[in-house]
Amino acid sequence: MAMNAPGYALPCGRDVETAWERLDAVAAGLADAHERTCPHCQGAHASLVVLRDATAGLAADEEAPPPGLTGRIMAAVRAEVGRREILDLPCEEPGRARISEQAVASVLRFAADTVPGVRARRCRVTPAGDDRQAIDVHLTLAVGYPAFAATALAAVRERVTAAAGARIGVRLNRLDLLVDDIYPA
Amino acid sequence: MTKVTAGQTDLTVSYTPQVGSVSTELDDATLVARARDGDVRAYEGLVRRYEAPLFRLGLRMLASRGDAEDVVQEVFLTVWRRLGQLQDDGAFVGWLYRMTTNRCLNVLRARRPTVELAPDQHEEPAPGGQPERAAQTNAQVAALTGALARLTPEQRACWLLREVHGRSYDEIAVTVGATATAVRGRIARARAQLAEMMRPWR
Repeated sequence: MAMNAPGYALPCGRDVETAWERLDAVAAGLADAHERTCPHCQGAHASLVVLRDATAGLAADEEAPPPGLTGRIMAAVRAEVGRREILDLPCEEPGRARISEQAVASVLRFAADTVPGVRARRCRVTPAGDDRQAIDVHLTLAVGYPAFAATALAAVRERVTAAAGARIGVRLNRLDLLVDDIYPA
Repeated sequence: MTKVTAGQTDLTVSYTPQVGSVSTELDDATLVARARDGDVRAYEGLVRRYEAPLFRLGLRMLASRGDAEDVVQEVFLTVWRRLGQLQDDGAFVGWLYRMTTNRCLNVLRARRPTVELAPDQHEEPAPGGQPERAAQTNAQVAALTGALARLTPEQRACWLLREVHGRSYDEIAVTVGATATAVRGRIARARAQLAEMMRPWR
C-alpha cells in the first residue's frame, strides 16, 4: 500500500482526509497555493473523486434480493405467531366462535385509520370483566400535524365503536385513546 | 376528505391510508408499534421496506448472494421474536442494520481464514442513456466492490454503513462496539485505502 499508515499522510505532509474534506472546494477552483502545485495532493484528489463517483454508483445500485425472500421470511414469522387473548364471539347455534386479540386489534386499527390525520399504533384488547362478549380497548395513536383536527378523536371513538359492533360483533365497553406521537401531514 | 369508510375497509388492503387526497405510506414507527402488537401484516410492510437494503449490505459484506439471503432471513426472524424487547419504536431500523452487520461479521469469522473474496455480483443492467458513461460507472463500481473485499471486515462494515447506507457515526459505533471517534478513524483509513485501490481509474 503506497499510503503510509496510520495517518495516511501524503509525502508532502498533508493527509488524505484533508484532501477528502477539501474535495468540493478544490473542484470549485478554491485550491490553495500548495494544492495547485503539489502532485501528491492532486493525485489524492483525483483518486478520491473516482472513489466518490463509484461510491455514488454503489449507493444507487438497486440489486434486488432473490425472488420470494419476503415470502420465506413471512412464512417463518407466521409459524411463530403467538396468539394471546382469545375472545368469544356471539354465536346462536351450538358450537363456539372465537377470535384472537390480534385479529380484533387489526379491525379496530383499520377503523381508526379511516379518520383523516390519524394513524392507529398499538392496540390492546382485553375482555371486559366477566362478559366474554364485551371488550376494553386501549388504542395508541399518532396524529398528523397540521392535518389533525380536534374533532378527529370523537370520530375515532365513533368508528372504532361501530367497527367493534358491526365488524366483529362484540360490545365496546371502554375505549381509552392515547395520542403519543405526531407525524407530518 | 377521505373516501374510505369503515364499511370499505378490508383486511387485505395494503397499508396506504388516504390522508386528504395524498396517499401516504405509513411511517416506520407506526408499523413497528403494530408489529409489536403481533400484527403480521405490519411486520411484512417493514420486511418489504428493508429487506433489499439489508440484502445489499449483506452482499457487499459477504460477496455471496446465498449467504446474504440467509443473513437477512435470520435477522428478520430474530427481530420478530425480540420485538418485545425494543424500547423505542424509532430505534427499529438501526437495530436491523446492527443485527445484519453483526451476523455478517460472524459469518466472516466462521469462514476459513481469508479466502480471497471473489465478488459474484456486478452484472448490472445499464440505465438508459449515456451508455459509455454508464459502462464506465459500472466498471468503477465493480472495481470498488473488488477493492472492498480487500479491507478488513470491520473496516468494510464501517465504511459501507456510513458511505453507502448513510447510517450515523453514533449508530455504527454501537454496532461495532467502538467509540464514534474510532469509527471515524476506521472510515478515514478505509477511504484512503479504497482511493489508493481506485487510482488506476482516475
